Amino acid sequence: MNQLKLTVSILATAGLLFFIAACAQMGTLPSLPASHPEALAIGQQVNCAECHEDQQKGTLKPYKAFNHSPVFVKSHRFYAASDDRLCSTCHKSSFCNDCHTNKVQIKPSTKFGNRPDREMQHRGNFMTMHKIEGKLDPASCYRCHGRANNERCIQCHR
Amino acid sequence: MKNVWCTVVCAVSFATASSIALAADVSVDTSTLLGIGQRDVSGAKSETLLPATQFLGLDVDKLADGNLSLHLYGWGRADLADNSYNRENVDGNFTYGYLQYRFKEANANARLGRMFIHEGIVNEQIDGLSARTDLPAGFGISTFAGAVVHGKKLSGETSDGKGDTIAGGRATYRYLGMLELGLSGLFEAKAPSLVSHINSSHRLMGGDLYFSPHKMVTLMGQSSYSPETKSVAEHSYLLSVKPLEGLIVSGEFNEHRSGGYLSAASLFSTMPSYKPNERSRVIGGSSSYQISKSIGVAADYKHYTRTLGNADRFGADARLSFSDNSIRGGFGYHYLRASQGFAITPYISASYHELRGYLLHETKGYFAALDVIAYLFKEKLFNEKSAWEGTISLGYHLTPALALSGDVSYGKNPEFTDETKGLLRLTYNTTFDIKGGK
Repeated sequence: MNQLKLTVSILATAGLLFFIAACAQMGTLPSLPASHPEALAIGQQVNCAECHEDQQKGTLKPYKAFNHSPVFVKSHRFYAASDDRLCSTCHKSSFCNDCHTNKVQIKPSTKFGNRPDREMQHRGNFMTMHKIEGKLDPASCYRCHGRANNERCIQCHR
Repeated sequence: MKNVWCTVVCAVSFATASSIALAADVSVDTSTLLGIGQRDVSGAKSETLLPATQFLGLDVDKLADGNLSLHLYGWGRADLADNSYNRENVDGNFTYGYLQYRFKEANANARLGRMFIHEGIVNEQIDGLSARTDLPAGFGISTFAGAVVHGKKLSGETSDGKGDTIAGGRATYRYLGMLELGLSGLFEAKAPSLVSHINSSHRLMGGDLYFSPHKMVTLMGQSSYSPETKSVAEHSYLLSVKPLEGLIVSGEFNEHRSGGYLSAASLFSTMPSYKPNERSRVIGGSSSYQISKSIGVAADYKHYTRTLGNADRFGADARLSFSDNSIRGGFGYHYLRASQGFAITPYISASYHELRGYLLHETKGYFAALDVIAYLFKEKLFNEKSAWEGTISLGYHLTPALALSGDVSYGKNPEFTDETKGLLRLTYNTTFDIKGGK
């Protein structure tokens, strides 16, 4: 028991020292800018490599990896899970919350009916289609709606 | 207790912001939507829908020493005729509202208030505190703690099945820009007991990976485990290859165990297809190629495996852009071939063709769009062989930030025999034309 206490104490002390040392060096670590320094075209699938060709600093991933190709847009969850700070240089949180939120007022495709070029889920008559799509891949519902239990679901799913 | 906590957080956020709002940059995004619709439901009286909805986003930057900011977003709705959804004719949501202090170094920040957390396997909405920073030698750390944001009570229950408090975090290691390893976890306080729903406390641990040994190849994904249900929750991985400029080929593997991934979302347990011990898989691939600046094409395929049966979905899309991107269009086709188990009871087929096309034109003054989507069912659904919806949208920029637009849509679908909808939209957005274009 004493040996366990000693081990835990040594590990805790080492952790604390590492943390203090790390904090002392934090001033030398660079940050991403709060906002993208140039205005970006709306309605265009952004190609980061147009300006950031082969640029890579420190531990930053290559900008080219974030080109907004159709494959990127469909798979954006993989990028957002580890790089939301990079996303946030161009996108507000509300940009994500149009789809990913616990309580949605209207379908994003209806809210942005004037922007059919945007990739939006549940176009058309999803009231009928969700009875098929929900069975196919319930995990995909969970990704956007989370543990919502919102009123609209509960009305039928009792 | 939670209400008190929420009130305190909100009051502190607003009081602090208002007292130190000196030389702040304020940006406002609002959308006022007035829906106008008539819904003819088979076998029931016609309904007139007139929902008025206000979305409001407020961002106040450069507060105090310039590194503090306030971010708010939410919406409210009032039905001016028949109820558009469910029983209540007014509704609203406070989506997020937090104060953020952004340090100048190490990508460090701290947030206080209601926010969403996206870190590795963690994807939560909390009322509380979060902080993150890079550390030397490629390490990084983030953490959060607070109250769970509750939803509506489940039918026949006294709660929504969630615990009251939640905490978690993520530790990462990066090597240059080619490797990132993350370990993350979340711990929710014990979930309340439910009478007729299956639930468990929301507790997950897992790891995530980004590996790009060559600029043409990237592997990323995550795995998670629920210690509460002693079950794997998710394996989800994406391999993408870029052999040529403009060409991307990707393969995806997703596996979920209902017991680990969905058991903390009690509503899923009411679904007839929910089986706690089920392992479901979605495997697929997609590819996109930018032929020229004006033309891009994409194709995708997915194979679904559940105890209900198997399904395949495949299709292709094309995107077009002309006149310096002011004219954009696209069309696509997808086919879902699904086993009978996925069909809507009591029908025998879930297979359908999906066709879509759209066109839009934007100028500094007016903008217009046309969007059509159609479903052709392999077998009749609700005695209908097809469903479709078309939307026309017209709008005008009164000023660069203020725009008025209107949509009219008409559709025929199996459940509502036909549906005509209109939407008036007034948007005021002060941020799209500034740097960053957020």
